[in-house]
Amino acid sequence: MDTGTDATIEVRGLTKRYGRTVAVEDLSFAVAPGTVTGFVGPNGAGKSTTMRMILGLDAPDAGEALVGGRPYRELATPLRRVGALLDAEAVHHGRRARDHLLWMAHSNALPERRVDEVIELVGLAGAGRRRAGAFSLGMRQRLGIAAALLGDPAVLLLDEPANGLDPEGIRWIRGLLRSLAAEGRAVLVSSHLMGELEGTADHLVVIGRGRLVADAPVRELLAAASADRVALRTGERSRAMTVLANAGAVVAATDRDAVTVSGLPAERVVELLGAHGVPFSEVSAHRASLEEAYMELTRDDVEFGAGDTAARA
Amino acid sequence: MTAFLPLVRAEWTKLRTVPRWAGALVAAVVVTVLLGVLSGTASTDRQVGGGPAGGPAAPSGPSTSPDTVDEFHLVHRALDGDGRITARVTSQTDSHGWAKAGLIVRASTDRGAPYAAVLVTPDHGVRMQWGYGHDESGGGGPAPRWLRLTREGDTITGEESADGEEWRRVGSVELDGLPHTAVAGMFVSSPSRVEVERQFGSESIDEVSTQGAATFDAVAFEDEDGAVGDADESGWEDHDASLLPEDGGSTWAGDAVTITGSGDIGRAAFADDAVFDSLQNVVVGLLVVVAVSVLFVTSEYRRGMIRTTFATSPRRGRVLAAKAVVVAAAAFAVGLAAAVGVVLIADPPGSRPDPSLTDATVLRAVVGTGLLSALVALLALGAGTLLRRSAGAITGVVLLLVLPQVVAGALPLSAAMWLQRVTPAAGFAVQATIRRYDTALGPVAGLAVLAAYAAVAMGLALVRVRRRDA
Repeated sequence: MDTGTDATIEVRGLTKRYGRTVAVEDLSFAVAPGTVTGFVGPNGAGKSTTMRMILGLDAPDAGEALVGGRPYRELATPLRRVGALLDAEAVHHGRRARDHLLWMAHSNALPERRVDEVIELVGLAGAGRRRAGAFSLGMRQRLGIAAALLGDPAVLLLDEPANGLDPEGIRWIRGLLRSLAAEGRAVLVSSHLMGELEGTADHLVVIGRGRLVADAPVRELLAAASADRVALRTGERSRAMTVLANAGAVVAATDRDAVTVSGLPAERVVELLGAHGVPFSEVSAHRASLEEAYMELTRDDVEFGAGDTAARA
Repeated sequence: MTAFLPLVRAEWTKLRTVPRWAGALVAAVVVTVLLGVLSGTASTDRQVGGGPAGGPAAPSGPSTSPDTVDEFHLVHRALDGDGRITARVTSQTDSHGWAKAGLIVRASTDRGAPYAAVLVTPDHGVRMQWGYGHDESGGGGPAPRWLRLTREGDTITGEESADGEEWRRVGSVELDGLPHTAVAGMFVSSPSRVEVERQFGSESIDEVSTQGAATFDAVAFEDEDGAVGDADESGWEDHDASLLPEDGGSTWAGDAVTITGSGDIGRAAFADDAVFDSLQNVVVGLLVVVAVSVLFVTSEYRRGMIRTTFATSPRRGRVLAAKAVVVAAAAFAVGLAAAVGVVLIADPPGSRPDPSLTDATVLRAVVGTGLLSALVALLALGAGTLLRRSAGAITGVVLLLVLPQVVAGALPLSAAMWLQRVTPAAGFAVQATIRRYDTALGPVAGLAVLAAYAAVAMGLALVRVRRRDA
């Protein structure tokens, strides 16, 4: 593997239109070596289109995508630099799993030994001689990851790699992604489910309707989503809400005995409740989940939300 | 840049690792050869039931190939050693564009004997012909025309003249095995007209004989025994080998002789092409070649595997070229193996010899079948890449190949031949080993027409693959 400057992805001003529909608009971000970058957005946000443009499969209408500082199409033996999983279903069902990897190895002059190594690595050691058509979705997903790892590349692009994996498989892929990043590789993983990336991604690129929504470390996004909010647990919920609302806070009941308070720091909440004699069992700074942070960010960018469904029904 | 050979190796791995494709290609060879066995048996049965083949004119002489005809009326005399015969064709009836009136030197009057002739035709000027198929144009116009044939050893030279004074050489040929005493004289022949009535599945061909007639005068003859100028009928003998005996004859009036005759000397327009016929089964194998060649690319589009391919090798033109090399090579092997098998087991009816692979024309047909198969594969690969859909591409290519032949059966001969010149089906011409009345195109030209279609399909595919998103 050749890391360092080779282990980067840079996307600059990338734009793709299909007729009048804009799939990706002026998108820029970068993936650094040694990190797992989550690439998230609702279905139809433009994640797969962006990945296809990075891989030179779709031509952008504007902008450019560089892998290791060069356009993908200029790479002589791309498998040695970039591994990609776009669609686990994209295999000929009549071909044995090992043969699928074999033609890929031949095309980039990789040794046949590599084929057996990656089969072993993704846990398909016993299944290499079976036809890909007989595989479960989870096994095909592993085969696709094996294909991505074939050339021991410094850059990895994985589109929804956890699709179809069982819980054990999801645990496995998380560990694999962490270890690949720890070896200095740049890893870009897309998902439409933020939860899948919790504890895996170091950095998040969030897009909605083809536009960049956020590009920040996971820590910052969580902090922003949690900012200025206080979780309160009290036996007298309605009294507490009145007191805090009168003091100018935005108050929302989240449970029978739980309230979320925005607009007041925790010390001020404690002070106010004490002054009015409202009993409470717990006051804490609210810690948002990645899912919440994501919902917050993409609320306006969901292409086909529940509202649409309701309107159509 | 991605090296090309690894791509070829990768595409080869793709082709051989889908068992259904590899199996279909092998089965294509087996089935084609088996069909050849079946149709070979059928023709043997027909032979047993039909009695001995061959007409009343029993073949004799050194060259009695059924692919040639040797029909004419001849007024001749012995030619001892070197010599020359000269005559003027004063008139020739326009019985057929290729009716022949001229001078001939033959080893004997036997059917199929070596010969060389200089002759005049109504529509094609003066010709020098020999060896049942060799033909050289001498320009000039129709009768009246002066002709001269000179023998020096085994070399025969033909000349023509408008006035009997200024002579122009038409051609010269060496006849192997010409005896010291040969035969020389004036001959007339006139080929049959072909009347073909066609309906789907059936074809009735009528061969309507025509009678040629021509008058010669100023006949001069010399050989090592002496010379005769302005000859009259003394010393001449008639030999009739006309298609219809009643057509042949000669009448002298002083130093002029009018000769009538029917038939032709040269290739037989109605000969059976046994090799061509047995190679017809190869079309079954070609259908498999079309299907596999189309699927070789459309199966990648179907599941999006083409993206894996282009991400693996971003030089798309090279990928397509590698696919072309692999699929063409496999198709060539299939076509060649099927053709070799068919020809080896072919058992033509009658007294005809089994076709031999060492025969140049048979070899051309067999290797040509391999090339035909390879070009069909390229056409199919191009169509598959353009359409990205298996069903449409397979149907389209099969129709292009088979429909002209089916439709041709219902069309007048001229329209049928036109179809076989301008459609990809022209490629089948390479399987012919003789020229016939219904030969539309030469073997190389036919293959070239198919190659042009394949090149256009691949060219468009290349442009498309480069421009469009994968």
